[in-house]
Amino acid sequence: MAPRSSHLSPGLPSRFFAAFIVLFLLGPIFIAGVVAFSSGNRLEFPIPGFSLRWFATALAKPQYIEGLTASIIIGVGNAIFATIAGTGAALALNHYRFRGRSLIQALVMLPIAMPAIVLGLGLLFTLAMYDMQPGLLAGVFGHAVLGVPYVVAMVTAALSNYDRSVERASMNLGVGPVMTFFKITLPLIRGGVIAGAVSAFLISFDNISLSLFITRGDTLPLRLMQQLLAYADPSVAAISTLLVLVSLGFMLLLLPLALRKR
Amino acid sequence: MQLRNRMVPWLWLAPAGALMIPFFIIPILITARNSVYVDDPMGFLKPAFTLANYAKVLTDSYYIGVFGNTLLAAFVVSLITLVISYPFAWLLARSGGSSRGFLLWVVYLPIYVSVIMRVFGWMVIIADSGIINQMLMKIGLSEQPIRMINEVSGMTLGMIHRYLPLMILPLMTSLQKVDDSILRASANLGGGQWFTWWRVVMPISLPGAVAGTQLVFAGVLSDYVIPTLMGSTKFQLLAPAIYYEATTNAAWALSGAMATIVIVAVAAFLIIANLILKRIAPWASI
Repeated sequence: MAPRSSHLSPGLPSRFFAAFIVLFLLGPIFIAGVVAFSSGNRLEFPIPGFSLRWFATALAKPQYIEGLTASIIIGVGNAIFATIAGTGAALALNHYRFRGRSLIQALVMLPIAMPAIVLGLGLLFTLAMYDMQPGLLAGVFGHAVLGVPYVVAMVTAALSNYDRSVERASMNLGVGPVMTFFKITLPLIRGGVIAGAVSAFLISFDNISLSLFITRGDTLPLRLMQQLLAYADPSVAAISTLLVLVSLGFMLLLLPLALRKR
Repeated sequence: MQLRNRMVPWLWLAPAGALMIPFFIIPILITARNSVYVDDPMGFLKPAFTLANYAKVLTDSYYIGVFGNTLLAAFVVSLITLVISYPFAWLLARSGGSSRGFLLWVVYLPIYVSVIMRVFGWMVIIADSGIINQMLMKIGLSEQPIRMINEVSGMTLGMIHRYLPLMILPLMTSLQKVDDSILRASANLGGGQWFTWWRVVMPISLPGAVAGTQLVFAGVLSDYVIPTLMGSTKFQLLAPAIYYEATTNAAWALSGAMATIVIVAVAAFLIIANLILKRIAPWASI
């Protein structure tokens, strides 16, 4: 049984390697988080002193607050549309065998492989045909397309251990399909639906390649990018750190909801 | 009743169709159509059927350079992330308990933190007066700061950081399918470590490697942020170039041709990857 231990417990070199990767992945994030608390004016590390002044600066910048508002509106709107579209598509693909099913399956997953810049270019040109301007509404629909594959994946995963006989029992008892969906199916796959909606929101909230074309350059990532291009000061790190903390708080609030026993 | 039953899946698909037909399928088709139209000097698009845009994009040295740079960057970043990810994903797949939870958290955190914050961190690290240059000069390895930010080296570093988790996660998923009994079977049948890796572990993990490479490749191809904030103006990449042609030059037909070439490149990559998988690992084709 000699080879067994060598497969199971990693040796010293691989521990060093793992530590290096952990440092590589976390290092830049940690440093950005620390510089947010700098009392200096420049991007320097170690920081000259501890201060909250960059948080105050960031929260007083109208372009950040407007950007945050735009990003939240687009993120929430996109999550709603992507979740409705993706959940419906996942149910159709999981429950039914119909002609063109594999084509539809490939199509709803395609936005992951499609470079966002190509979609952005196409959308910018197409919006005019729909009498739409680049802006919040265009951002909502454009981002929702990117969210659909993630919702489909999460809901499909939730449906994999879902027993359709409960649904049939409900229908046999005379409950209509709509009520059956909201009373039976949805509560059973709730975890997947919430995970999908959160993924769609997060993807939208960090998107730049698509927002570049279909918004007025006013989402938070675009505003922060403009700030970094013009003058990189710690206020960018401050608002980013604040968002990480706030979203961690949301996660802790949402986690029990997603994991709650049915 | 029969007809109604056949309609049911399409009713479930209706919201997805209402979203994806106008905002995904039509824009892509319109882009492909624009690529054979003509840009007139006033910035309007005129109907035509010409391959002149493709000819220009595929023969002009500027555009060839842009495509070449982008393919090179996508190839290098995919290769480096793949090589780094294999041992790490292996460790992740084989570890258990709290160390596994911690490592998973480490991989997921960068996806969760905004790309802007990550770029900011790299700016502090690799700037001329950044951490790396401070250390190099303090220990006397270098007289002047080594320029990394707004250079190809810094951009590559930023891209590896951005896309590494997207390679680790699918690789880990497929490496988890290698269980101890398979490894013991190989060892008991006289397979050495290399033989076991090459003939047992690698084939099982291939689908994960292909999925990860696809994600990284498509990511680099459409990355606008990292080239803009960390890249060099001497090394133009595709996404900023397409954005520039479309918005500043209003060259819709030309940018349409560039975008269509990207779609063809991504499709060709998917098909080739699938063919390789079918050849080497026929049980796992996508």
